[in-house]
Amino acid sequence: MTRSARRLCLGIGFLVLYGWFLSATEVSLSRFVRGLPWMADFLRRMVPPDLSVLSSAAVGALQTLQIAVVGTTVAALLALPLGFLSARTVVSQPIFYPARALLNFFRSIDTMVYALFFVAAVGLGPFPGVLAVVTYTTMTLAKLYSEAIEGIDQGPVDAVAATGAGRLQVLRFGILPQVVPLFASYVLYRLETNIRAATILGFVGAGGIGFYIQTYLRMINYPAAAAVLLVLVAMIMGVDFASSRLRARIV
Amino acid sequence: MADCYDMIRTRGLRKTFPPNTVALDGVDLDIQPGEFVMVIGQSGAGKSTLLRCLNRLIEPTAGEIALNGSRVTGATPEALRAVRRQMGMIFQQFNLVKRASVMENVLAGRLGHVPGLPSLFGRFPRKDRELALSCLRLVGLEDFAERRADRLSGGEQQRVAIARALAQEPKVILADEPTASLDPMLTESIMGILQRINRERGLTLVVSQHMLETARAYGTRIVGLRQGRVVFDGPPGAITPGVVQALYEGGVS
Repeated sequence: MTRSARRLCLGIGFLVLYGWFLSATEVSLSRFVRGLPWMADFLRRMVPPDLSVLSSAAVGALQTLQIAVVGTTVAALLALPLGFLSARTVVSQPIFYPARALLNFFRSIDTMVYALFFVAAVGLGPFPGVLAVVTYTTMTLAKLYSEAIEGIDQGPVDAVAATGAGRLQVLRFGILPQVVPLFASYVLYRLETNIRAATILGFVGAGGIGFYIQTYLRMINYPAAAAVLLVLVAMIMGVDFASSRLRARIV
Repeated sequence: MADCYDMIRTRGLRKTFPPNTVALDGVDLDIQPGEFVMVIGQSGAGKSTLLRCLNRLIEPTAGEIALNGSRVTGATPEALRAVRRQMGMIFQQFNLVKRASVMENVLAGRLGHVPGLPSLFGRFPRKDRELALSCLRLVGLEDFAERRADRLSGGEQQRVAIARALAQEPKVILADEPTASLDPMLTESIMGILQRINRERGLTLVVSQHMLETARAYGTRIVGLRQGRVVFDGPPGAITPGVVQALYEGGVS
């Protein structure tokens, strides 16, 4: 078979596969169009938002923020040793490969799944939410840390070692100044994503604003749900703004 | 009695890189205190490897190195640190910590001398800070102490690197192609500073240099490498056209 014929076959193969995926997921334009009036109705019933629930929504939002901040900071610290242990340039292969495998395994499970697990283990409330955030974030941050460590410029490390510095001094003066700003930037970024993740932790009973969203939607109290969503959007925008300002100063 | 020793002495120094590159192939050198040794040769001749072996940033495959009578090869980690403290090093790419201040970079030169634990928290004794500042003054950059290293030009960064090496109060300075990243004007300035250090402080200098003319102008002794072997060793005046041909012509086989 010629090169172009092989390409053609490959192209047709991908199209067939994609067509199957479309039909398997029941993608249908007409069904979407028939649903449009219902979406409009849904949105119409949300206005005007019921501002009387603002204070309880704010309490929920604050708890979401608290879960994200506590979970992210604990994870940022726990990820430090793991990050160094899974950096190819720091440890030898017998340590590196198991450490990386461990990270990849636990990182492929989402925060939400951990939340279900921890709610079952320690009961309802913000605490299982914190545990879920810590578990997932520790793994993702450790991966990012280790890549930052592997990517550093070896030159300054050599230069510091050449002065007669000890191992810890080389770490402190040759490696840390190169990675700490990156680490801080990753932590802030994870904080932003964790606040989003923490908003739905309440759906499974792990605390925060998600509880109110789910409750009002179930009670078909759309104006109240709309007010909660407004609080949520305001909080996320505020945190994103503060975080990006902070990150711009660090890096 | 210390005067009986060579400042640097190597015997049968050999370095091979897997699978089968021979970078240094039995180098014997005796360098006396106060010499300004220029190591020349084509790229790939082993200049950088030789310099990096002298303080064991690269581990030699075989052979012996001694600094002022102390063994470098086979030294325990503690002894190696003591030896490295006496050898400042300057690099082609300056190798400053870019995000750190100029002062922090120069203070890194004191790490082998200061108490370990406080240094980890960035605390250095006053006299060490003063010494670091005086080293910056010597290279004309005392006003830049609080600037971030990457805000400086290439020539200025190399002067900071020289200050860092001087802050070690070393006996020897190793400089691996210190001017290869700089233009000719800056080359003169950097080589001039090294010459002053050699003449005024009596430091022993070992400098690799790919520019033959620069090597001739500043060195008191020239060591020519080819394929990891010393093929010339003598004063600059003894470099004849035949020596140049032996060093540079025919390419790397």
